[in-house]
Amino acid sequence: MYDRKMAIVDLSKGKVKEYTIPKKWQRGFLGGRGINSYLLYNLIEKGIDPFSPKNVLVLGVGPLGGTLAPSSSRFNASGLSPETGILGDSNCGGFFGPELRFAGFDHLVLRGKSKKPSYVNVQDGEIEIRDAKDYWGLDTYEVQISLRKDLGDVESVVTGVAGENKVRMACLRTGVKNAAGRCGMGALMGSKNVKAVVASGVNGVKVEHPQRMLELMEEIKDYLMGSKITPILGSQGTPLLYEVSNALGAIRTKNSQLNVWSDSLNAEELEQHVEKMISCSSCFTHCRHRNKFDGEGPEYTAVGLLGANLGLDHYPDIIKLNNTCNELGLDVSSAGSVLGWAFELYERGIIDKKMTGQEIGFGDFELANDLLHKISRREGFGDILAESSQAAKKFGPKSKDYLIAVKNLPQSDPHDIRYIKAFGLGIATASRGADHLRSRPTIEIFFRLPQEVKEQIYGKGATTDPTVYDGKAQAVHFSDNIFATIDSLGLCKFICHGFNSPHYLKYEHFSKLLYAVTGSEFKEKELENIGKRIIDTERLFNFKHGVTAKDDTLPKRYFDDPMKQGVSKGHRIERKGFDKMKKEYYKLRKWDEKGRVKPQRKKHIESHGGLP
Amino acid sequence: MKYLYYYPEKCTGCRQCAMACSLNKFGECNPKRSAISIVRDEFERYEFAIFCMQCEDAPCMDVCHSGSYYVEDNIIKHDDNKCILCRLCAAVCPHSAITTMGKDLVKCDLCDGDPKCVKYCSTEALVYEEETKEQASRRRELAKKILSTS
Repeated sequence: MYDRKMAIVDLSKGKVKEYTIPKKWQRGFLGGRGINSYLLYNLIEKGIDPFSPKNVLVLGVGPLGGTLAPSSSRFNASGLSPETGILGDSNCGGFFGPELRFAGFDHLVLRGKSKKPSYVNVQDGEIEIRDAKDYWGLDTYEVQISLRKDLGDVESVVTGVAGENKVRMACLRTGVKNAAGRCGMGALMGSKNVKAVVASGVNGVKVEHPQRMLELMEEIKDYLMGSKITPILGSQGTPLLYEVSNALGAIRTKNSQLNVWSDSLNAEELEQHVEKMISCSSCFTHCRHRNKFDGEGPEYTAVGLLGANLGLDHYPDIIKLNNTCNELGLDVSSAGSVLGWAFELYERGIIDKKMTGQEIGFGDFELANDLLHKISRREGFGDILAESSQAAKKFGPKSKDYLIAVKNLPQSDPHDIRYIKAFGLGIATASRGADHLRSRPTIEIFFRLPQEVKEQIYGKGATTDPTVYDGKAQAVHFSDNIFATIDSLGLCKFICHGFNSPHYLKYEHFSKLLYAVTGSEFKEKELENIGKRIIDTERLFNFKHGVTAKDDTLPKRYFDDPMKQGVSKGHRIERKGFDKMKKEYYKLRKWDEKGRVKPQRKKHIESHGGLP
Repeated sequence: MKYLYYYPEKCTGCRQCAMACSLNKFGECNPKRSAISIVRDEFERYEFAIFCMQCEDAPCMDVCHSGSYYVEDNIIKHDDNKCILCRLCAAVCPHSAITTMGKDLVKCDLCDGDPKCVKYCSTEALVYEEETKEQASRRRELAKKILSTS
């Protein structure tokens, strides 16, 4: 275990206080998402408004971040979410996370509110709050280009126009497209009058056993490159999932009124619009598209939610909408979900022209693009849409029946989960709301994978049939745990066992990497327990902020409306089956029947201590 | 003679080459303290590797006053003990391939014939190859490309 630093930047007082991260925290939560969540649990009072200066925005990198460890580019941005009012936490790639470590800090807490537009500059161990008047009002590209022009080779995480206007689904951006996308972390930064956090440093990350690390990484590289999925991800990126999903009849289409969409959005159709595939820091996979429309992306989420979900089937249109979201600083997942929701409400007459100011509906690229701009500036109808799921307050109670969200977070995964029951349980119980990146048990949809391989991953009783309810709690439990661990190490979950492939990195790999980098021994079981501890900490945080077991549910449509098309026709989530999965999941988590973390466990978590 | 070759069109900008180099030479992962540098700008849309080309008529050797540079097995090497850190070699290098940082001067020595940067490149953007073989394969790829597009 070695010294890692964090700092609390008090924006109201203009003061910075530095701390050595307690060893107990490192042992109990690793870093990244884990320490971020523990900080939130300790620092955020019950009952505050997410836009209150009392809220905090935490940026955190894991102990493997910025090293030769594979895909060690990730950091987490966390706070009380302006979009949901519960845990806000978002994991992001690119080059900022490593640079923050090179600049000398693993975790930064921004608290209070700056009196005037500011940015936080972190350079070679020094932190300074600086005037951002020249940067305020710029989009996410312009501000980063300007910061580099003024400060040299820096990496920045910024909020766009949407975040400045406290659009609840505004993301943080670093680079062209990397986003801490979910839960409105851009709005949170904007609410603090902060435009950017900028990092630069000439110091590297010390590695305890360099030769061991070099040898280990030769093995790990061969292991990762040997997986069948690696070259496919490296040439097609996540859009490869579109065809898989569409073939199942499980692609969210027109706000989940339909579940099959056009083949014109298959990944091979995207290739003509791509200049090159590029990487985040330290990544062998290189799943990101440099597109021919002056941007990067799209990911599968954009293809699904800005494509099928909006009734669009022309790739250039979708790439342009994706680029618009990137420039404005909008979360693609929430933006696509909220637009689709509004279009259906208009079709059904639940909202009308008096509110929208114009005809709105599916299949109209110009309209969608215009609305994204209006959302980011809170203009006209855009001001209502900018509230994300909380727009239901304006749309009326009936609108909630058509909202594809859990715990107020619009669903990120373009998969229509009515067919794939484990995915349903995953988004119902995920600690930040309807999100697949907390627990997506991907192997569920690999039909051809033999039972024994599934059992090796998820444990005895795992099934090959995605449509049954048995054996699903354990698949979600496994995924939830290992994703919490990998998010806390600073690695991308794309190379995590059970996410994209049965062959990716397991706890044993994490253990070896941690030993090589930090010199500390973490047994495999201990790393799994850290994942569990993080999930419980997030659960405690959420219950403190009003979540109860009844919030572990799904959109009404997923229970009540059978799917209409394709292989999955007739499927829906049956309430009885769902309740059974949920009960089993609580049991695996050792939560009580009301989904609460038990008092003894709470005591254990709190025993890691407060701020040093 | 084997040299390091770089294909920018295959480079994804991940910097694993520089991470491995700094780890091998200094025991830390630091892309700025490496004998290979990835220059990248996602807004200008490029990534490019800069490293020592092992010039036959090497300006670094010509300008060095302290006799820090020497040739061994056709590789230009740098003796840290003789170096006075005037940084003149870095200033005249036509490829800007010599890195100085504090009390360190870093120049590629091809890791005694086993360059670490190549080992961790996942796209073969970096290769360490006999010059005749490399040329032959590069020309073959070019021929195929031209013939298939004509």
